[in-house]
Amino acid sequence: MASATYSKTANTSPYYSVQLRRFGTTAIITLLAFTVAFAFLLPFGNMALMAVKTPEQITASATGLIWPMEATTYNYDGKDYTVYEVPTEDGVVHEWALINKGRQTSEFVDPANPDAGLIEWTGNWRGLNEVSTLRPHFENFGIAWDMLDFPLLFRNTVTIAVVGMVGTIISSIAVAYAFARFPIPGKNFLFIILIGTIILPSQVTLIPTYALFSKIGWTGTWLPLIVPHFFANAYNVFLLRQFFLTLPRELDEAAMIDGANPLQVLIRIIIPQSWAAIVAVGLFHFVFAWNDYFNPLIYLLGKPDLQVISVGVQIFNYQYGPRPQLVQATSLMALVLPLIIFFFAQRTFMRGVVITGVEK
Amino acid sequence: MATIDQTGAAAARDELISAAPRRKSTLEQQQRRWGWIFLSPWIFGFVVFTAAPIVASLIFTFTDFNLANAEITFVGLKNWEKLFSDPLTLTSLGVTLRFAVLAVPVGILLPLGLATMLNSKYLFGKRLWRTLFYMPYIVPVVSTVFIWQSFLNGQNGWLNRILTMIGFNPPNWLQDERWILPALILVGVWGVGNAMLTILATMQGVPTELYEAASVDGANAWVKWRNITLPMISPVIFYNLVLSVIGLMRYFDVPYILTRGTGQPGTSAYFFNMHLYKTAFTYADMGYGSALAWLIFIVSMALTIILFASARRWVYYASGD
Amino acid sequence: MSKKSVVVILLVIASLALMMAPVAAQEPVTITWFVGMGTGTSDQQIEAENQVVADFNAAHPEINLEINIAPSFETAVDTISTLIAAGTPPDIVGPVGVGGSNRYEWLDLKPLIDASGYDLSGFDPELLKLYETNNGGYSAIPFAIYPSVMYFSRDLFDEAGLNYPPQTFDTPYVMPDGTEVPWNYETVAEVAKILTVDANGADATMDDFDPENIVQFGLNFQWARIRLMWSDIQPESTYYDWETGQASLPDSWREATHWLWNGIWTDHFIPNRTYAVSDAFGAGSDNVFQTGKIAMAIVPLWYTCCIGDSVGNFEWDFAVVPQSLDGEYHVAMDADTFRITEGSLHPEEAFTVISYLLDEAVPLLAPTYGAFPARANYQQAWIDSQSERYDWGVNWQVAIDSIPYVNPAGAHHESNLPNWSQVYDREYALQTLMEGDTGATMDVDAELDTFIADVQQITEQQ
Repeated sequence: MASATYSKTANTSPYYSVQLRRFGTTAIITLLAFTVAFAFLLPFGNMALMAVKTPEQITASATGLIWPMEATTYNYDGKDYTVYEVPTEDGVVHEWALINKGRQTSEFVDPANPDAGLIEWTGNWRGLNEVSTLRPHFENFGIAWDMLDFPLLFRNTVTIAVVGMVGTIISSIAVAYAFARFPIPGKNFLFIILIGTIILPSQVTLIPTYALFSKIGWTGTWLPLIVPHFFANAYNVFLLRQFFLTLPRELDEAAMIDGANPLQVLIRIIIPQSWAAIVAVGLFHFVFAWNDYFNPLIYLLGKPDLQVISVGVQIFNYQYGPRPQLVQATSLMALVLPLIIFFFAQRTFMRGVVITGVEK
Repeated sequence: MATIDQTGAAAARDELISAAPRRKSTLEQQQRRWGWIFLSPWIFGFVVFTAAPIVASLIFTFTDFNLANAEITFVGLKNWEKLFSDPLTLTSLGVTLRFAVLAVPVGILLPLGLATMLNSKYLFGKRLWRTLFYMPYIVPVVSTVFIWQSFLNGQNGWLNRILTMIGFNPPNWLQDERWILPALILVGVWGVGNAMLTILATMQGVPTELYEAASVDGANAWVKWRNITLPMISPVIFYNLVLSVIGLMRYFDVPYILTRGTGQPGTSAYFFNMHLYKTAFTYADMGYGSALAWLIFIVSMALTIILFASARRWVYYASGD
Repeated sequence: MSKKSVVVILLVIASLALMMAPVAAQEPVTITWFVGMGTGTSDQQIEAENQVVADFNAAHPEINLEINIAPSFETAVDTISTLIAAGTPPDIVGPVGVGGSNRYEWLDLKPLIDASGYDLSGFDPELLKLYETNNGGYSAIPFAIYPSVMYFSRDLFDEAGLNYPPQTFDTPYVMPDGTEVPWNYETVAEVAKILTVDANGADATMDDFDPENIVQFGLNFQWARIRLMWSDIQPESTYYDWETGQASLPDSWREATHWLWNGIWTDHFIPNRTYAVSDAFGAGSDNVFQTGKIAMAIVPLWYTCCIGDSVGNFEWDFAVVPQSLDGEYHVAMDADTFRITEGSLHPEEAFTVISYLLDEAVPLLAPTYGAFPARANYQQAWIDSQSERYDWGVNWQVAIDSIPYVNPAGAHHESNLPNWSQVYDREYALQTLMEGDTGATMDVDAELDTFIADVQQITEQQ
């Protein structure tokens, strides 16, 4: 509304009006983005708040305020009692500690004057407000860090993700190059098979694959999590092939005429033009490996020293006493690295994931 | 128009080279050899990590391979017949397909909408917004489940607190047979980051000349989006559609962790892959489990073929004539 | 950028290759011990388990004991299944309960017991029956027993001005008006209603009670599957007849189901699923009693593992379980042990490990597992360690007094039947349906009929 009014009054200068209209549109769109992001990330708020609460605070905030409030307590006779705002008949609201709870009457003590003894109060104590202050427990991050041996898990996860990423990049480039540039007989058929492997539910291959890895003694090592990625991945091959197809062939051919072999063409001509797609593939793999849960779970069983974050966080999901606050604290810490990478790589990444048709 | 021409030309030349050899066949042989070399990693990986296990699992479907029993005997088509007599197979396939019908539109329209918004030249702070919308995609699944369990709780969840505040009478999402699938859709909203990015990237690749030409003709923003953006990005929509359908046929982690593998309440969240997984692992019946895996593979394949067949009608290929 | 990163990446690969240098072959026999089918995956427990492994290996140079701890209970069944399917089963699994044992095949220990002259006289013969196989062998030796007891919150009874529930058998309960009534499920329902309170302080006996805003519940069968609840309310052994292959639902279980349904949906003294997984009652863990907002919980003794948060927050104590529908006391009992898998390549060495776990390791493992030792000579030490942890004078005698009332092995709430784990899941589907939102309007009898028909079908499957 405001922007519309402004543009009318500023009608005398057309340039000024365009500027204002543009500003108004920017404001509206940005506000829209903010609103959508707010709704979208609301559960994140819950997550972040949960990460800094104690179990008692999680329980308390279920019915009261969502913030990590901590009840004020008063130590009476060696025990801590919660302090409530207690209204009395004279209209004064006292801050008294609740000692003996009762359905009709309860007994309080006045922390300012404990020697006066117990004060009997008639009413429903559940209707009283606790005296509480905001107290976020940032030490949850430290607790989770120590209990999990976070640096170790972090190192493991990064290593598995990075080595696998290198493997998938090298092999997928080679295979995509083959599909994009070489006259292989039955190429289209092979490509359909490649795409078909995307559809395959992993459960189909799980048992035989596990048996294979256990036969050759790879279970309990990182090899099953890394080596298969050195043999190309259908998604990545698809993406890179689409990208390579958009590159002009003239450069390839010129290099060939100069005596370059296809490997040299790949390294000198194709790859330098395809950094964006390669970054995209790398990022996809990194995020996949970062979140991969089931494979590390079964292949690294009994090797806590080799385990990764997504599985390690399970220790806080112990059925008989889960600590959701530590699960969330760990997860937030685990988010930091991929987010930073994404934030800085996104420009290149965005250029790399352009999909230009599927049926070719 | 330049980019489009390049793509078309490259593809056309590709055809030309493979179809009509002009020079001596030695050159082509050499080219082929190089092609096979570059292809070899995938061929090897495919044979070892995909084809061999598939064949093994196909063989399992004809056996009574069972954890409790060391010997394997062939039982013919018994496991395949059981697919039709096991009531949970139908129940769980029904849950998966019903969920897919709900989730596919969301999985396409939501990222499309977000991408359109993020592609607006008027938006301020694009990098930040892109990162924020992508962020939930990186959250570990155990954590996601904890969060949404708390967020959607009927008693204390933020969502229901908000809905109650603005005058609704919200359901107990996760404890109500009728609402558990919509609740899972809400959880799934956190996974649109990837689709959003691919769509957005492709939108950014649409040549600006097209928009300029349309502006000259006096087209408004909606007309431009409908008549230029949408057709130009239809390949990426198709790509995401295929991925989303395939992903839904494999949907497993979230309901499995959320319901502790039970698909509660009742069997309302008992997805097909949970049934497959439980049969193979919890019930230790690998033979029948493999048959279930093959069933979902066949269903996925059929759906994919249907999608590809439909693509000819609505996906626009820049290189086409 | 490209060249530098390639170099970095190559370095990473090289260092990785170095890390994976082949491990020298070990001389002693390696025995693997898989943990996670029951308790045993929390951080304190892992610490104790690692200590046991270190102690064992120090004392037994001929055996190399390796421990595999599943990251969580949820993932344990899947991981062990994968191990077995791939032909690499662990040698030893445990602690595992009666139910978990029905999933896999175990080695008959009889020959090993006979060969080693293992002394079984330290165990209750009735308890040994639980592990007798059809052909007279033993599938396991007892490790820990967990009679069901009632945990109650002294604080909540005090607040309501109610007398505590009886702590000895055959003792009546004294109602607030002084009348003495038998301690049965009718009385429990009565008391539980008074102990169920909404946000305004009204209890479930009052007209203005608001079932939408309950902040405290009277009763919970914590973590119990429905068959355990049935067995608490009225144990029966006729769920499945091995002779005729007939599954049938005893009338008393039908009655028990109605009692439970009323408790959840009519009288509201048992939390429904929505409450049970809300942040106010344990944030999805179902560990509701620990929040201090549940007055009574009927749970096996192992629950002492998991109410550590009560320390400093509220005081709980034990009471005897109520009389079942037939007016008699019946105590459902869980039991944990360690088992040797049928596929173990070194059964003798595995038996050595098991003998150690069932004996020398008990003082280390039992307190952290909350496991009441099956061997009488370790029981007092366990009670002492628990009294130290829960230091407000818990009446442990209640648990010991409960043992004579334990259900016979044939009526165990996790006793085997064909396709046990599928029946187990079907039971849970019934339970979640009843506890979930649609449970409020469900036709209990019709659901039970469908249920038992399904069970019949499942047991008939090959």
